[in-house]
Amino acid sequence: MIEAVGLVKTYGRDRVLDGLTFTAGRGVTGLLGPNGAGKTTLIRMLATVLAPDEGELRLLGRDPAGDRLEIRRRLGYLPQEPGYQRGLTVFEFVDYVAILKEMVQRRARHDEVRRVIEEVGLTSVSGKRIRTLSGGMRRRVGIAQALLGDPELILLDEPTVGLDPEQRLRFRELISHIGQGRAVVLSTHQTEDVSALCNRVVVLKAGRCAFEGTPEEVRALAEGRVWFSAEKSGVLSWRTGDGLFRNIGSAPEGARPAEPTVEDGYLLLLGDRTAGVTA
Amino acid sequence: MSTWHMDDGLAVRYADGELNPTLAASVEAHLLACDRCRSLLTPRVPDARLDRVWAEVADAVDTPVPGPFERLLRAIGVHDHTARLMAAAYSLRLPWITASAAALLFAALASGETTRWGLLVYLTLAPILPVAGVAVAFGRDGDPAHEIGLAAPYSMFRLMLMRSAAVLTSSSALALVVGLGLLGGSWIAAAWLLPSLALTSLTLALSSRFDPRHCGAVVAMTWLFVVVSVNFREPSLAMFGGVGQVGYLAVAFASFALLFFRRREFS
Repeated sequence: MIEAVGLVKTYGRDRVLDGLTFTAGRGVTGLLGPNGAGKTTLIRMLATVLAPDEGELRLLGRDPAGDRLEIRRRLGYLPQEPGYQRGLTVFEFVDYVAILKEMVQRRARHDEVRRVIEEVGLTSVSGKRIRTLSGGMRRRVGIAQALLGDPELILLDEPTVGLDPEQRLRFRELISHIGQGRAVVLSTHQTEDVSALCNRVVVLKAGRCAFEGTPEEVRALAEGRVWFSAEKSGVLSWRTGDGLFRNIGSAPEGARPAEPTVEDGYLLLLGDRTAGVTA
Repeated sequence: MSTWHMDDGLAVRYADGELNPTLAASVEAHLLACDRCRSLLTPRVPDARLDRVWAEVADAVDTPVPGPFERLLRAIGVHDHTARLMAAAYSLRLPWITASAAALLFAALASGETTRWGLLVYLTLAPILPVAGVAVAFGRDGDPAHEIGLAAPYSMFRLMLMRSAAVLTSSSALALVVGLGLLGGSWIAAAWLLPSLALTSLTLALSSRFDPRHCGAVVAMTWLFVVVSVNFREPSLAMFGGVGQVGYLAVAFASFALLFFRRREFS
């Protein structure tokens, strides 16, 4: 579905993508990385909104430089800030996007709009104005428009940011549902989302691919490197609720091993950068 | 209470949609009050017909109600989907058009019919309104769904041109009505038309590289600066004379040419 080799994107002196290489197929692929790692730039590139300065990109077996329209007909895209026309109802907004997706036959278009609204569980609020909806419901509207035309590739940029735990849970249900039988690329900096949803993960660090594999493989990177101890130690360390320090790195004296998580593996992959981010 | 009831044959013909409208209306009136006939009818309605009727009802309920501008576009023959895309622009909605009309009205009233300063205010303001309208009709800030639209197959260049043409037309119509109404049939009431076209096309051409709102602001401020500079010592309408009009036409042509060459930048 996606083959990227040596992608480079530069804004002024800032090299946002620096020779990024990765592949993604069916199922849910997580793009994991800290703020500024190039996730949004990459997602916009995959959505054919941006062109790479260098490198080769193939989407759905096609070259976006020459077959942009054909690719756009087969993809759904939820940007980080979708920008809803808040005066419109849910139905009106999704209908508006359906027109942008070249669905011109009114009856067929309306049937499709109803289908995607039902798929994201918003049928009961279909006639409500978007400005009256909660943040979680608005994200569902965003997902609904991305599902129009049953696309083979769906790109979701930070879809769970700002959602409360219950909304995030519902969102995960929805994303795992739509990930069946198609390719979904999910950009996030939340390791919980990756653990819960993705069958594949690409970790971005300073515009490059720091890791490509399964979430379990990310977690395995931290095997034997996470410890509980009375003293602070390791690359990263924080005090837990029971008063012990949870350390990532080499074992301090008297430490007992802890079960690693995907987050531990991710933090190890980011290395020194995490000290600045999480200290 | 009626003692008349449907028989099997009538129920089947009604269910198949074969009754004439008058008889069908009678049957429907009776069905509203008769459980027995409803029970007789229900199993005789083909599922496919029921689904079709339900789909029609759902579609009638869901179909968005078009606003006044969208209705106007449809009335002049624009396809309903195209009208929907055009009418979504903020500057083609009632609040913007009302504000533009009010601004023009005050400018025209201030012109006092004959004073040069007053006329100058009107002729300066009239071309700025379409520039402002175009600047907020598309682009990242002007169109909330812009980013989604960029990844959709519909041509953003086409959408931008359609909305700009609609904004220019509506603004020009307003200015013409106000100008002719308050300034009489003099040529001066329409002397802003070519400046308006020049400034708007320049804004569009610059928008292929920069944010449309910034482009609109820069073009409008530059226009104001030029008008004030030229008329600082003594108000004159020379800028709107023959030579000036040829100049505006040249700017418009050059801008449209640039716009054509940079059309891919909009997608």
